[in-house]
Amino acid sequence: MIGRSLFGLGTALALAALSGCGLVTSTNRSVFFVFDVSGTYVKAVPDAAKLANITIADLQPGDWVGASQISACSFSEKEIILQRQLPTTPSLAATAKRELFQAFNTYAAGVKTAKFTDIRGALAQAAFELKQRPEAERFIVLFSDMVADYGKSCDTSGIKLDLTGVHVIAANVIKTNPGDPEKYFALLKEWEAQVVAAGGTWSLVSSPDQLPKLVNGV
Amino acid sequence: MDQSIEQAAGSPSAADGGSFFGIPYGWPLIVAIIALILVMWMAREPLRRVVWQMFFITGRVFGRWGLWLTEHGRNARNTCNEKIAAFRADELQDRMLVLEDRMGRRAEKLAKETGPVIARLDKSTHQLATAATELTDINLEDAAERAFRAALPSMESGRGLNKLEKNFAQSTARAMNERLVPVRPALQIIKAEAPRVRELADKLNKTQNEFNQSVDEVNKTFTEFEMIMRSEDRSKIAARASIVIPWLIAVLITAIALSGVFLNFFLIERPMSEIVGEGARIGGIGLPTFAAIIVIFLEFVAGVVLMDAAGFTRLIPAFHTMSDRSRKIMFGVAFAFLALFSVLEMTLSIVREQIIEQDQQTRDLANSALLGPAPAPAATPEAAPDATAPTGEAAVAAEEGLALSTVAQLILAGIIPWLLAAAALPLETIVRNSVFMLSIVGSFLMLMAAFICKTLAVAFKNVGLFALTVYDAIIFAPLWVERRVKGTVRNRGSGGGNASSEPDDTLVLDRKSANQPQKEPKRDRDREKSREPELQKA
Repeated sequence: MIGRSLFGLGTALALAALSGCGLVTSTNRSVFFVFDVSGTYVKAVPDAAKLANITIADLQPGDWVGASQISACSFSEKEIILQRQLPTTPSLAATAKRELFQAFNTYAAGVKTAKFTDIRGALAQAAFELKQRPEAERFIVLFSDMVADYGKSCDTSGIKLDLTGVHVIAANVIKTNPGDPEKYFALLKEWEAQVVAAGGTWSLVSSPDQLPKLVNGV
Repeated sequence: MDQSIEQAAGSPSAADGGSFFGIPYGWPLIVAIIALILVMWMAREPLRRVVWQMFFITGRVFGRWGLWLTEHGRNARNTCNEKIAAFRADELQDRMLVLEDRMGRRAEKLAKETGPVIARLDKSTHQLATAATELTDINLEDAAERAFRAALPSMESGRGLNKLEKNFAQSTARAMNERLVPVRPALQIIKAEAPRVRELADKLNKTQNEFNQSVDEVNKTFTEFEMIMRSEDRSKIAARASIVIPWLIAVLITAIALSGVFLNFFLIERPMSEIVGEGARIGGIGLPTFAAIIVIFLEFVAGVVLMDAAGFTRLIPAFHTMSDRSRKIMFGVAFAFLALFSVLEMTLSIVREQIIEQDQQTRDLANSALLGPAPAPAATPEAAPDATAPTGEAAVAAEEGLALSTVAQLILAGIIPWLLAAAALPLETIVRNSVFMLSIVGSFLMLMAAFICKTLAVAFKNVGLFALTVYDAIIFAPLWVERRVKGTVRNRGSGGGNASSEPDDTLVLDRKSANQPQKEPKRDRDREKSREPELQKA
């Protein structure tokens, strides 16, 4: 134990010295999951939580995980479900991942529906949280039907988004109106344009195995 | 457009009967050519100089480079030969020292070995001599006479012939028996000692042969050493020392050892993240990977120190001057480090197994939730049933398999640091012979470059000569006229003379004065200069 601690200390000192020289870079990423809990999507939240879990299972030690929900007024700290950085050692990271599974499962089991769908506010909140992270790669994973519905008291449809350096992934986007595919695709295109206009990059995930690959690059 | 292209190319145009670079064929072209020849005649001296500068100076530069490269290439080869010979001499010197040491030890043991043999030989010889004396002391004639005399009184008493004969025989037999009694032990001694003496003689012979062999070996080594030290033909000496084959063998062994390094690397890379953590990159390499490489390097260094301290290799110069005690200490330290590395790797192999198992379980947990029903809020991940977990005999078999693979990993992890240490053995040969080989290749490359430069030099000079000849051929007519005119003027002035000996005869390109002494080529002069020290030495 003492030897391991000394080795760790030595490594930390060496890393600090190398960081000063600019030789050390980070490979960690920060991932922010956003769950839509509005009326149409709340039933899909347990499935979304499972997708989030399989994404977390493939995250590397040292990665950061955050989660919030889309409600009537999403640009708020109150909507944040959790924020956690995985430990840098694999064994501790595995334990932390299991705790995150538990947290998401608990959340999915007890989620309450919201009257409005403030997607833009949720994106702004997620981007704000990610901007404060030192990780080079930043992801926002949106579990939503992407149909925004802003309330009168909290209309964020006009706010300016800054998604520079953020990769937005829309996952598990359910079709609200199966009889109108054009509207669905137009909606996705519209969101893609908004994200790109805000400086971010956009991806759409249709199958569960694509999401971990997109986030973790495995 | 086509017309303009044709005009530019100088091809005849169909419209006006043709032209050459815009000059129509016929008189204008002839006048233009004559004018050009006259211009060339007038400008012959500067143009000659330009051509001279372009070709001859360039050729000379290449020639000098060629000479320089030849000289340095030869010097490099000589230096390399000298180094190889010196190394071979060192090797032989070491060998002689080892043989001398071995013979010294053998000589020390010899007294102990031959002492008893000689004592036994002495004893046996003494016994044999005693027995021989006893045998020579036997006087059978005297014994027979005594027997006869002893039998005489009985002859007088008994007159029968048969009885007489019987008495003679009995007396003689008794007397002979009495004489042979002391001889029998001597014969026994001879019988017993003779083979022993032969055996001892064989042993001594064998010892002598061994010594002779060692002496022959020393003599042979010394002869070769003497030859290396005295021989002037260093290339011959260098050629006797094999470089490539030992190098190839060493490279092969090192390549095998390196495959072990790769195996080792993959074994410890993942568990190193448990010690140093993940997420950082150093120079583009992941931190656990970097740490694993460092551990392997450290193991290799410990192996090199171990082998050098043990005297198997001579890679570290400090060990040459170190005392035996210090070397033993270094050997102990290196051995302890290797043992620690071995233990570290064994521990890491267990950690590796645990990490893989935990990762797999975590993934299984997430995937099983995706495949199964929606999670219940109260259920903990540990309590949640694992859909992918094997049950019953399958689980036992899987556990046994895991245990076996862990044992295999433990064995590998324990062995590989020591194998890495063994990889230091051929390293010495690789390092040393690579230097020799690079020197030889370098010298050959220099000589090849010298050859190319010399060839280019000759080519440039000849192309220059050719260009000047062509130039003179073009302006031949005005040159001829000039020569005639100058010849007439000179004949008038001096009253005749040989025109061909004029110093300003422009038809002749490079003619040396017959009055000037003929100098030997500069290259030969350089060679003579380079030979001077050798001649002085001789």
